[in-house]
Amino acid sequence: MTSTLEYSSFELMAVAGARELKDGEIVAVGLGLPVVACFLAKRTHAPNISIILELGVVDPEPIEIGSGLSDPRFWYRAKALTSFVDMLGMVLHKGLVDVGFLGGLEVDAYGNLNTTQLGDPKGKIRRFTGSGGGNDIASSARRTIVIIRHEARKLKEAVSFITSPGYLRGSGDREKAGLVGGPSVVITDKAVFDFDEESRRMRVRSIHPDTSIEDVLANMAFIPIVPDEIQQTEAPSAEEIHLIHEVIDPEGMYR
Amino acid sequence: MTKVTPLADAVASVLPGSHVALSGFATARCPMAFAHEVIRQGIKGLTVSQCVAGIDADILVGAGAVDKVINGGGSRGRSGQHSCIVRAYEEGKLDSEESSSLSMVFRYLAGALGLPFIPIRSLQGSDILKRLEQISPPVVSRLNDPFSGEEWLVLKPLIPDVAVVQVPYADSEGNAWILGPLWDNEEQAKSSKRVIVITERLVSTDEIRRDPSRTVIPGFRVSHVVHLPFSAHPTSVYDLYDFDVKHIQLYAKESKTTDGFSTYLDEYVYGVDDHWGYLDLVGGMEHLNTLIADPVLGY
Repeated sequence: MTSTLEYSSFELMAVAGARELKDGEIVAVGLGLPVVACFLAKRTHAPNISIILELGVVDPEPIEIGSGLSDPRFWYRAKALTSFVDMLGMVLHKGLVDVGFLGGLEVDAYGNLNTTQLGDPKGKIRRFTGSGGGNDIASSARRTIVIIRHEARKLKEAVSFITSPGYLRGSGDREKAGLVGGPSVVITDKAVFDFDEESRRMRVRSIHPDTSIEDVLANMAFIPIVPDEIQQTEAPSAEEIHLIHEVIDPEGMYR
Repeated sequence: MTKVTPLADAVASVLPGSHVALSGFATARCPMAFAHEVIRQGIKGLTVSQCVAGIDADILVGAGAVDKVINGGGSRGRSGQHSCIVRAYEEGKLDSEESSSLSMVFRYLAGALGLPFIPIRSLQGSDILKRLEQISPPVVSRLNDPFSGEEWLVLKPLIPDVAVVQVPYADSEGNAWILGPLWDNEEQAKSSKRVIVITERLVSTDEIRRDPSRTVIPGFRVSHVVHLPFSAHPTSVYDLYDFDVKHIQLYAKESKTTDGFSTYLDEYVYGVDDHWGYLDLVGGMEHLNTLIADPVLGY
């Protein structure tokens, strides 16, 4: 049945993200695809997760997906409306956030993320969004999930600017810097990666249906650890795709 | 004592070169009428701060009113980057003290509590920290916890000269309600030396006393109260009106280039005498009425 089920790479990434969440967890989320992943988890295997938005929103139930954190569509039917100091301070900094979702311009072999700036070939610096709550989540969440497009310019040996720290340059570095947690997985539109327990280098965990390990590696600017046996990412179910299409994102903003 | 003043008088109280905290977050509760009047009066050399950059900061930077931005980064979400801020950074025309959302709110909180510094776990190991360490006089340092001996990063408090806070309801003394999420506004207002309240609705003190748990800013912190409806347009005020998608798209398009941005300023800021002229220009009551929030949805 899955072979006839139609879904986009974005939907596959959202489903893979949702499956990383456990029931009862506290999840910090920003905008975009991770929002779809969280609401999908909540409507399937994890009805008791608590979703927090950095600006002071607890567990909203939006009926329209909204254009970003500042869009009141995203705050609809929240259980509490508070503040940064409450969400990022008294929840995140205190150590209560189980999972944070992060995205970015580039991620590297040790899970460090850049959302601040890119250099072009002429040496000119192009500026982007910067941290927002990204650095805070990367520093204090128990684990983070990175969602990023699978392109060689986005998957680098070392990012040009560390906005949100992963495992820095590997083994023990993160702990030395006084940070807790760290990235657990990186989800792209071709594969799911985790991190080697010792070296902290990125490792292929599974590759998505209809792709090959050659295709995965050919579109990265570094060589991750490749295990002898490569798993395949479980395809989305009909129910998951139905929920995304009909309930969570009926307007197709994230497809 | 009434503190209600015309917008022009409240803006004239902001000295060139001062540090102004702005209440906006991306496209929500930005004091836009205030920003327009700052531009019309030609006030320059400002430092502006807020947790996450809003269109309020972007238009002030684009108009050349700002020398330095202190924030945790930010964009308009799906409608793109703050082009004026990005352009000014890229052209080296703007000082930046960029950290993170929590770093910002901790710095305001330390200021609000009268503390000399505040420890934080964020920023460690990042290039954001390396950049902040270049700033003189310092805004970050390290300290050993006197109880555990563990080393901590500590941040300098932020104490703005004035916070400009866009609110839905206030009375003439400046007792102000904010509905919906507060983001950094409480800590920001309470760390500042004084507050200018821009309110959509002016209500009686009896009305404030009827539901005082909604009051975020007590009047004794407030120097001026400005009463102007739709003064956050094109951004939203939760429970009163939605953001204006079309006008934000127009702003996004025009602000992408220096020429487009000056056309926008000429038309919507310099081309009108005051906020009433601006409201007529963007479509008047007929258009603004379409933005009024549904009381169940809040937008």
